Amino acid sequence: MSNEVEETMKRIQSHKGVVGAIVVNSEGIPIKTTLDNTTTVQYAGLISSLADKARSVVRDLDPSNDLTFLRIRSKKHEIMVAPDREFILIVVQNPMD
Amino acid sequence: MPPANVTKKSSATKAVRKTAKSQAETDDIEEWKRAKQLLKPKDQLELNELELKETIGKQLVSTNNRLPDSLIEFSYAQGTFIPIPSPGNVVVSFEQQGTLLHKDSEEARQQMLEMGIDPLTYQTSVETIYEPEAEAEVPSETAEPSVAPEGEGDTTEGGTQTEEGKEEEEGAEGTAEKPPEEKPEEEDEEGEGETVIKATVKPAAKGGRPRKLTNQFNFCERAALTYNNPVRSQETQTIPPPMANFSANVLQWVIYDAYQEDFAAQQLEKELERERKEKEKMSIGKPSQPKKAAMGRAQLSEAVQGRVLECWRVLERMINQNTFNDIAKDYRYWDDPSDEYRDEEGTLLPLWKFTYDKTKKHTVTDMEWNPFYYDLFAVCFGFLDYMKPLQAGAVCLFTLKNPSFPDYICVTDSGVMCVDTHAKYPYMVVIGLYDGSVEVWNVHATCTMPAYRSNSVTNKHRGIVWEVKWAPDLPDGELNFFSVAADGKINNWVLMQNELAVTTIITLFLDKDPASGPDGTLLRAIACASCVKLHPDKPLVYLVGTEEGHIYKCSTAYSSTYLMTYYAHTMPVCRIDFNRYNTDIFISCSADWRIKIWEDERQEPLFVFDVGDRVGDVKWAPYSSTVFAAVTAEGRVYVFDLNVNKYKPICVQAIVSRRKNKVTRISFNPKLPILIVGDDKGCVTTLKLSPNLRIMCKAPKKQQHLDQWTLQCMKLDKLLALVREPVTLTLPEDTAGSEDS
Repeated sequence: MSNEVEETMKRIQSHKGVVGAIVVNSEGIPIKTTLDNTTTVQYAGLISSLADKARSVVRDLDPSNDLTFLRIRSKKHEIMVAPDREFILIVVQNPMD
Repeated sequence: MPPANVTKKSSATKAVRKTAKSQAETDDIEEWKRAKQLLKPKDQLELNELELKETIGKQLVSTNNRLPDSLIEFSYAQGTFIPIPSPGNVVVSFEQQGTLLHKDSEEARQQMLEMGIDPLTYQTSVETIYEPEAEAEVPSETAEPSVAPEGEGDTTEGGTQTEEGKEEEEGAEGTAEKPPEEKPEEEDEEGEGETVIKATVKPAAKGGRPRKLTNQFNFCERAALTYNNPVRSQETQTIPPPMANFSANVLQWVIYDAYQEDFAAQQLEKELERERKEKEKMSIGKPSQPKKAAMGRAQLSEAVQGRVLECWRVLERMINQNTFNDIAKDYRYWDDPSDEYRDEEGTLLPLWKFTYDKTKKHTVTDMEWNPFYYDLFAVCFGFLDYMKPLQAGAVCLFTLKNPSFPDYICVTDSGVMCVDTHAKYPYMVVIGLYDGSVEVWNVHATCTMPAYRSNSVTNKHRGIVWEVKWAPDLPDGELNFFSVAADGKINNWVLMQNELAVTTIITLFLDKDPASGPDGTLLRAIACASCVKLHPDKPLVYLVGTEEGHIYKCSTAYSSTYLMTYYAHTMPVCRIDFNRYNTDIFISCSADWRIKIWEDERQEPLFVFDVGDRVGDVKWAPYSSTVFAAVTAEGRVYVFDLNVNKYKPICVQAIVSRRKNKVTRISFNPKLPILIVGDDKGCVTTLKLSPNLRIMCKAPKKQQHLDQWTLQCMKLDKLLALVREPVTLTLPEDTAGSEDS
């Protein structure tokens, strides 16, 4: 199973326009990354708090609902976030090129 | 006030505080004094100096001015008011009964008499009398009960009596302290109080005990002031309990979660309780408990890993969505607008291309849309060029949502030639291999090894398995499927507990006379089956195409005869397909360049089309009763709509480059207007049908209530009525088709 996970992450990294992929644990600490250190820490911290907030919003509207994915489209990038209780996956893609 | 602050300061300011404290005490007193101010009523007269100094004379008289006169009282006895005597001038403002008696008074004398003392002698003799203790005691005791019933005034007497008793006791104490019998001289020398001396002298003479007599003056009061302890204050302070800041938002979902957790815990409790009870009943040891926990942890991490993988997959789909954004939009929204001006003809719009790196040299041998997930399809990678055999093969399950990588990959030892997905269990995939074996994969469980595999020695076909098809489940729920192979056998495989049970349904023989072998044995020539199609409505009936070009209509009930034989083609039959709307109609294609449409029980085809190259596959469209598509080896896709044109395809389009690639298979999506086409370079191309290729029936004005299904059936029937001619006549279509070739 972990082998497959590893492979998938590698494959995602090789996709067109993908800037980087980060795995963050539940405490907001990056476990795996393909970006440089400072960027990773920044992404991990900011995105995990954003994901928490987003989840809170969704749950507050309907407690039986839950946040599954989050896409943030910016001028330069698209940040795709898969928030889970135990981890958060972040992929940054540049969809223009 | 936070205690932490106090601990910091306390030691430093201890000395200062002591002095400050005493000062504070005096301050308190002063403050208290100051607070005692005179209060003046508001309406008090304000007097000036002169007025204040003025003397106002007041007279005191011995008579009571307020004395009421002529007081009367009603007498019930006499029935009249009678005057009562004046109370006099005395006003009693305070009255208290004393307990002391003057010894000269009458009462005192009486008392003395009661005590057995002659008052006269008593008066003349000394102030103290000597009496034996027993004598003194007895009268006092006897006096008390006699006095008590006399009333209020006498209680005071009782009081005096008890007082006396006390005095006596005191006296006794005093004597106890200094027993007079022992040291009379000493006392004499010491010279204590006069009375005491006198008292001690007399009893010594009389031999009795001295008794102190209560009198007017002979008593003293002693008071002692105990030493006042200096005021001290002591403080101790415990180590402050550890502090932590806690902040949380209470939101609706937090409460909801808490309740959910509580509910789950309760359920677990109940479960455990029940288990415990059951165990008590069973009274068998419980060694499996710790093992379970360890397993649980492993399972948990496995579950997390699974979720991680799931999330990665979705992210990959998102990335693909961004990458192939324009294609996704075409797929969803683009309909060729030029179709409006091109009557009867349509186009195919290429969308995604699906490839898998490891199977780029393989040929797509079969493709099938998943019956449950409309975006998922299975692709077989094998080979059809027998001059260049490949060692391995694979089945890949692709989804339209992720064109870059297959969702499931099942790698096999040999080339995969055919695939079928179970309609009820969309994760059960059966495949037929080049080496003649069949495998069943449960892609939901694992993609590393098949769930079932036929025995590679005893239990397999002796030829390429050309097609596999899931059959309807057996009455007791067992899955089973049919397979046809080049060895002319049609096998039925049943998925048992852990193996495949095989039954040969039929062995196909050519209806020729048996050839005689060199040693005189007779050999019946075997027909090599190349494709099979189960009848959608009749579960027993199926059609088999052979490499000799025949189509046999068979039934699983008879294993020796054919229900019908169609001498359909002159080259191997590649695929057969039943029409979805009228199951009596089926289509076949062959390497002899022809596509033929047949009707059940009719030897001659209804339609024949010649497309000028080997036809690899043909399929009826799911959305229309008259549309079908075919692919040829030179890389073209043909789409026919019999309702529009009975002679020519309404769309011919080259999908791959003619020299390099061959197109092998085609498949309609059951839901979307999409075709997939597989070629011999391991590539699957998705094509979108333009509006002209998927014209639906319009209900006639008088029959608006009819639904699409009925309309489609009507359309096909109408068309067939034109073609169905008396069997005696030769069919012009067939000759027209053969002219082309």
